[in-house]
Amino acid sequence: MVNLNTIKPKNNRNYYLALGLEGSANKLGVGILKHPILPSHESGDNSHHCQAEILSNIRDTYITPPGEGFLPRDTARHHRNWCVRLIKRALEEAGINDPRNDIDVICFTKGPGMGAPLHSVVIAARTCSLMWGVDLVGVNHCVGHIEMGREITQAINPVVLYVSGGNTQVIAYSENRYRIFGETLDIAIGNCLDRFARTLKIPNAPSPGYNIEQLANKCKNKDQLVELPYTVKGMDLSMSGILAYIDSLAKDLFKGNKKNKILFDQKTGEQKVTVEDLCYSLQENLFAMLVEITERAMAHVNASQVLIVGGVGCNVRLQEMMGQMCKDRANGQVHATDERFCIDNGVMIAQAGLLQYRMGDVVKDLKETVVTQKFRTDEVYVSWRE
Amino acid sequence: MGDLITAKYSSPDIPELHFTIDVNDKRYQTTNGMTTGPSEHVLNAGQIDRDRPSDPKLLSGSSSDVEPHYTELSKLRMHLTGLQDDINIFLTEQMELAKKKKIKLHSEEEEKRIDEEINELLDGGDGDEEDEDEGK
Repeated sequence: MVNLNTIKPKNNRNYYLALGLEGSANKLGVGILKHPILPSHESGDNSHHCQAEILSNIRDTYITPPGEGFLPRDTARHHRNWCVRLIKRALEEAGINDPRNDIDVICFTKGPGMGAPLHSVVIAARTCSLMWGVDLVGVNHCVGHIEMGREITQAINPVVLYVSGGNTQVIAYSENRYRIFGETLDIAIGNCLDRFARTLKIPNAPSPGYNIEQLANKCKNKDQLVELPYTVKGMDLSMSGILAYIDSLAKDLFKGNKKNKILFDQKTGEQKVTVEDLCYSLQENLFAMLVEITERAMAHVNASQVLIVGGVGCNVRLQEMMGQMCKDRANGQVHATDERFCIDNGVMIAQAGLLQYRMGDVVKDLKETVVTQKFRTDEVYVSWRE
Repeated sequence: MGDLITAKYSSPDIPELHFTIDVNDKRYQTTNGMTTGPSEHVLNAGQIDRDRPSDPKLLSGSSSDVEPHYTELSKLRMHLTGLQDDINIFLTEQMELAKKKKIKLHSEEEEKRIDEEINELLDGGDGDEEDEDEGK
């Protein structure tokens, strides 16, 4: 029987406060989260209903010039030089003057992610923990997304589609693990979109994926998709070939290669396809693949809810397509969150970390705080669910 | 301020190397290190550096024009920046040395092989010894 109230909050308070630090990629997030003690948490599976209150949720993104990705060294430098400033701002916004007494636990991203940026943030977490005498909890980044999504949307037991710059997974909960039903065999969907944005040399602010979405919205030939490879392999999918193909089309378009039959009319030499058309077709193709494997996972576990998490989860077109699929299935529902929670943030790390902390899972030796680039979702024992 | 910070390095080749700081040296009087800036690659791509570390904090009443007096934490940050530079420069040198050793080793092997082949040809071989052996 799960009891989330066994560990008491500091100073006999009737609530817990957690500080969450996230920095596994180019976003540095610091969030402070409050959980009241609820009688409903003494037994049963109510971890999706914590009545969490977000006291602060601050993020700063390392943005590179158009056409460039983010290198580990420079991203780590960004996190190193902004981390203290962001923690100070988060504490101030949350009205916390004495973190020694007020914060119950500091939660940090243990992995998966880019090694150097993860290192920058864990050093800040260790320092705060030693300075304030506050417990530490290492959190799996993917589990952070799932738990935040469950708390915000109140989805009880959904099939989770986790789509971001580094991950693409279809997940369902079973026997204390978030099991991976299907995933990418090569690059993540966000990586595919970001790299195509680099080829197009469109800005990386606010995010390359968002700018592709805006270009796709401007497409005037929505009934004439550019044919792209459709690479679903059982429950898995592959996106590197699609990227290579559409990259070559974009390059031919920029070069004005009139020999390309897909892009130019061979008789008149007129351009048939625009950059907007390519963005739209790429989105439709990739999202259709995601919808297909998600639907198959729903059928496997007999689920009626889908929860979309991760940075690509903010894409309105993906939410629409998933909604259409759910509508076609009896009583299907799609749950998604906005950019505050979809895109990497500190609060999601605080949410998952606080659930771990309330189940007694804390770091006992600093050796346990070593971060790791590889940390699969199903490696985490989900003690806070039945 | 108490003891100054130090660092220690050891490896199979170098049993022990100590890094210490000199508070009067300019390299230990800045928070903006020589080796901890943005990479050349992003600067060449047009990146504007907005991620610089903050400047050290002056004690109230102190002026940066005359003899500046910094807070203890800022002094620590400056010392660490210089020490990190020293370590980074040393480790880069070690990497370069390791690379050179590898190239030298590789070229020595290559030279030896070429010499052997030339000698074989001078001794009347036709350079196809291996193929002939395989044929047998």
